[in-house]
Parts: sequence; structure tokens; C-alpha cells
Amino acid sequence: MLATEIEYAIETQDLVKIYKTGKVQAVNGLNLQIKKGEIYALIGANGSGKTTSINMISGALFPTSGTIKVLGHEIPRNRRLITNYIGLAPQDYSIYEDLSLEENVRFFSRLYGMSKGDFEPKFEELLKILRLEEKRKALVKNLSGGMKRRTSIACSLIHSPKIVFFDEATVGVDPVLRSFFWEYFRSLKDKGVTLVITSHVMDEAERADRIGLMRAGKLIAEGTPDELKQKHNAATIEEIFIELSEGEIIDE
Amino acid sequence: MNKKKDKKSDEFSPKNLAFSMRRVMAIALKTINQFRRDRRTLGLLFVVPMAIMLIFGLAFSGEVQNLPVLIDNQDTVFGMMIEENLANDTRVELTAGDYFEGVEQVEKGDYYAVILIPANFTQSILEIQAGNTTQANIYLYLDGTKPTIKGSLLGALRDALDETMGNTGISVVQELAFGGAEFSGLDVGIPAVIAFVLIFLLVIVGVITIIREKIQGTQDRLYATPLRSSERLLGYVIGLLLIAMIMIALVLIFGVFVFGAKVQGNVFLLIFAALLFGLAHVFLAVFLANFAQNELQAIQFAPLTAIPSMALGGMMVPTISLPVWLYPVSFVVPLTYGINLFEGIMLKGWGFAELWVDFLVVGAMCLIFFVLAIITVRNRMRD
Repeated sequence: MLATEIEYAIETQDLVKIYKTGKVQAVNGLNLQIKKGEIYALIGANGSGKTTSINMISGALFPTSGTIKVLGHEIPRNRRLITNYIGLAPQDYSIYEDLSLEENVRFFSRLYGMSKGDFEPKFEELLKILRLEEKRKALVKNLSGGMKRRTSIACSLIHSPKIVFFDEATVGVDPVLRSFFWEYFRSLKDKGVTLVITSHVMDEAERADRIGLMRAGKLIAEGTPDELKQKHNAATIEEIFIELSEGEIIDE
Repeated sequence: MNKKKDKKSDEFSPKNLAFSMRRVMAIALKTINQFRRDRRTLGLLFVVPMAIMLIFGLAFSGEVQNLPVLIDNQDTVFGMMIEENLANDTRVELTAGDYFEGVEQVEKGDYYAVILIPANFTQSILEIQAGNTTQANIYLYLDGTKPTIKGSLLGALRDALDETMGNTGISVVQELAFGGAEFSGLDVGIPAVIAFVLIFLLVIVGVITIIREKIQGTQDRLYATPLRSSERLLGYVIGLLLIAMIMIALVLIFGVFVFGAKVQGNVFLLIFAALLFGLAHVFLAVFLANFAQNELQAIQFAPLTAIPSMALGGMMVPTISLPVWLYPVSFVVPLTYGINLFEGIMLKGWGFAELWVDFLVVGAMCLIFFVLAIITVRNRMRD
């Protein structure tokens, strides 16, 4: 079903989202082109439209206007076709607090139609990578914030998606584990998986292949970390961000 | 203290340790402010007590009233007087008719009782007064499934007799409808409890289940999976109905073995009725979940649906006893049909033939709530 020769995993054109409640324009003409097998970091302050964009691209939210193509298929029209190939770890933990870690991951595997035979080995693999082996039977509500985050990541990877969205995935995860995560992200990339990561922590983004800086629902800069630093003659991404924000105070 | 007057001793001076009214008021004010922001709760605080008083006050203004009763009066003088006294009694709503047809109509639920005053009744009374005989009979065929109704019917008849001639040697020959079914204890209430549990449990549990998806953020994640809204709805329905079935089974087992309740009708029809009635309320819960943002607001649906249901659905007084202008409201209260079904099957041994209208209405409710539920499950994604 999926077309074979598509260069971009994700393409958006003039994407706009105006929330009905409060009439907030969360995304204001976003044009994204994310290649297959790329690690793309969407960074920006809270309220810059990162989460809204990701939710629209993953099919969880309907756009007000503009077009989205994921793996060559239009979203939201072909939403259900594409959902099998994407994984989403939302900003909130978005897992069932009163279920165990294993029950959560198993639940999502079932939504993707995975058999028990497919589930077991993949689950074991994820537990190992995410360092959660000890906690598989624990109720989610008894887990620490970082563990909940990792459980959420496990739920989004269980069906071996081709595109993964991690919305603030590394918040609350300790630095040692974080660098371990990035190692794993790289290994996913090597298998051809596209990763879209949002963060409001700028140095986190420097590990990505490409960075998109978002402000007020738009991209204000884009490129590889080195390109960006060179172009703006800055030592860190954070500097660039502050420069481009022109000293405005970013409101949450 | 006076030895060292540096920063450190300042920091550790024992201030702010005494009980502080200022802090108490800070908590109090914060609590009021939170309420002030939640307009729905605020509204409920003022509206609900008044609504409860109004509904209960109106519904329970007196005792049971307007019970439809058929009278077949074949007698003259005393019979006429009794009929007239009965007609003036607010507890009953008297219609003249034939006794044997009336018996059938009691079995169908059109009347609660039929009274026969035989042609020789006046004659018998005169003979009692003359000392020639000791007994005069009045025949009563009545619905004994509800003690309050039975009591009111007998009370009305007894009063009418007393007013006419004093209580002298008249015996009321009673026969109970529905195969002599007579309930007196807690078993009478079980059908109403089943109906009520279904409404209460399914609406609250249902709304909270769905609200939790919103609060936990799992809803967004579900939208990014191949899950269809119809699959989601059906999943909720099956899960919640299974829970409801367990509840009903418990109520029934407890009722039968502890309180000695009987199921006169078909148990499977009862289960089918409970499933259908439950289904309507699961759909209603999915729909209502749109109007709640948090668990507190979800719980507020309980008094909003339960209280009018209890008062107006025939749980405490038969709907026929409601004030004339309030009576039509009972037709739009789902509990009315639930109680009709469960009482009909359990107490009166009715089947589909007698209850098809109630089944039809509950079926229609299912359909209406299903449409509302499926529309809103879909729509939630679009804003």
C-alpha cells in the first residue's frame, strides 16, 4: 500500500491550527520536510506549537487548514492507514495509571493487532533497552516520573513503527539514561526509522540530525546543528534561539 | 540569641510556629476561590438543593393517589353509597365496568383493583341488622405486588364502608392478582434497585472511564492508533455492561437467597431487559462525558440524573400518583420504563406480550443515545 519512492517521511504545507476554544492560533503556517531515517528535533518554548503540530501530523488532531503527508499519504484522510506505521509518545505520560506497565504496553500492542508471539520478544527487548525489567508488573501509578516516561516510550515503540514522535520524551529522565536513549534513537535511525523529537531544552536538540526552531506556530530557523551555529555565528543553539526571539520574553 | 546576631540565628528564630488564623483563612479563601472558578459546581450548589426540595415536595405531597380502580356495582342503596364514597376518595380513580373484564385488565396492569358489590348486598346488610344473618360480602380482586398500593386500596375501601354503614359484619373477600403474588418485605424493592443501580453505576462509572482518558492524555494516543471510534465505543459498552451484569447478579442472588425474593417471570427476559436498559445508559454516559472536564464534574451527573429519576420514575410512589402536571414528565424519565420492566417481570410474572411497549421505548432510548454517543465520540477529534 505504501508508495516506494518517497523521499520525505513527513511533509506539511501551510499547516494552520486554530483552536475553537479560545480562538488561539497554535500553528500558523508550518512548512516541514522531514526525510526518511532522519532524527529531527522540533524545538521551541512552551506554547510555540510543537505539540499541536505533532498531534496533527500523527493524526490525533484535525488541522484547520494546510496539508500533511506522512509516508506519501494525506493526513487526516488516510489517517488509519498510517497509524500502523507511526508511534506517538505524547507530552503527558498518556498511559493508564491503574494498569501495570506490562498491561499498558500489551494494551497498545493489541490496538496494533499484534499477536502474543510478536509481542513477547519485542516487549522483552524494549524492557531491556529502557531498563524497566524489574518494573514490568508494577502499577504505573507507583512508578517514578522517569519510569512513566519510559513506559510511555515502550507503548509507542511496541509495534516497530517507521516514524516515531517523542513529545518532550526525555523530560524527567536522568542524564545517564538520556545519553543511553540517544544511542538507542541512533540505532533506530540506522534501521530506517524516522524520529521527530520535541524539546524545550535546547542542548538536547544538538544531538539531532536537523533542528527546526519554532516560535508562535512557525519555523523561524532550520538546519543541521552545525549549519545553524555557523549561520548565526553562535556557540550553542540556545544562543541562536535567544537571538531570534529578539529579546522578547517567551510566555508559557 | 544575643551572642550571635548573624544571619543564621535570624533564619532559625522560632517565628511562624504558632497557630495562625491568617493561614487558616488563606486555606478557606483558596477553597472558595476554587469553587468560584468552577461555575458548574457553583451552579449545582444553588440549584440542586432547590431542585431536590421541589421535586420531592411535589412528588410526595401526600400518600398514594389516583390509583385506577374498576367497580362493578350490581347493588342499589348501600352499594350506591359505597361507590359514591369511594369516588370521593383521592386515593382511587374510579371507573365503572364489568367485574370479569376488570380481572383481566388488572392482570394486564390497566387497573390496580376491581371491586364487585353483588346485587343482594343491601338485602344482606338489612338482614344483618335484623339479626337473620351475620355476613355480607364485597369482592375485591387486586394487585398485591406493592404493599403501599395494596394498603391504600384496602384503606380506601374500608373507609368507604365505614362512612356508609359502620363496620358491621361486612367482609371483603380478597383475591390477589398475578397468581396470588404478594410481596411485603425488601423483595418488593429489588426491581427498583436493579434499575437504579444500572443508571447510577453505569452513568458514573461510564463518564469517569471516558473522562480519565481525557485527563490521562491517553485519548490523544488512542487517536494515533488504528482504533476506530466505533471499536472504542463498543469496547466501553462491553466492559461496562459486564460490570453491570455482575452487579445485577449480585443484587439478584442477594435478594433471592437473603431476602427471599422471587422472580415470577422469565429470568432470561429479566437479564435481557437489564442488558437493554444498561446499554442505553452506557451510551448516555459516553454522551454525557462530553460535558465534564474532570472527575468532580463527572460525579455531579449522579444527582442530576438520579434524583429526578427516583422521584419521578415510580421508584418511591407510582407515577400515576404524581400531580397531574408532573405526571407527563415521568414518561421521559428512563427509570419509569426500567421499573415497569423489572417489576413486571419479577413481581407480576409478565412477559414480552405485556411489556412490549416498555421494551420498545427502552430500545428507542438505546438508539437515540447511541446516535448521540457515536456523533460525539467522532466529533471530539475535530476541534
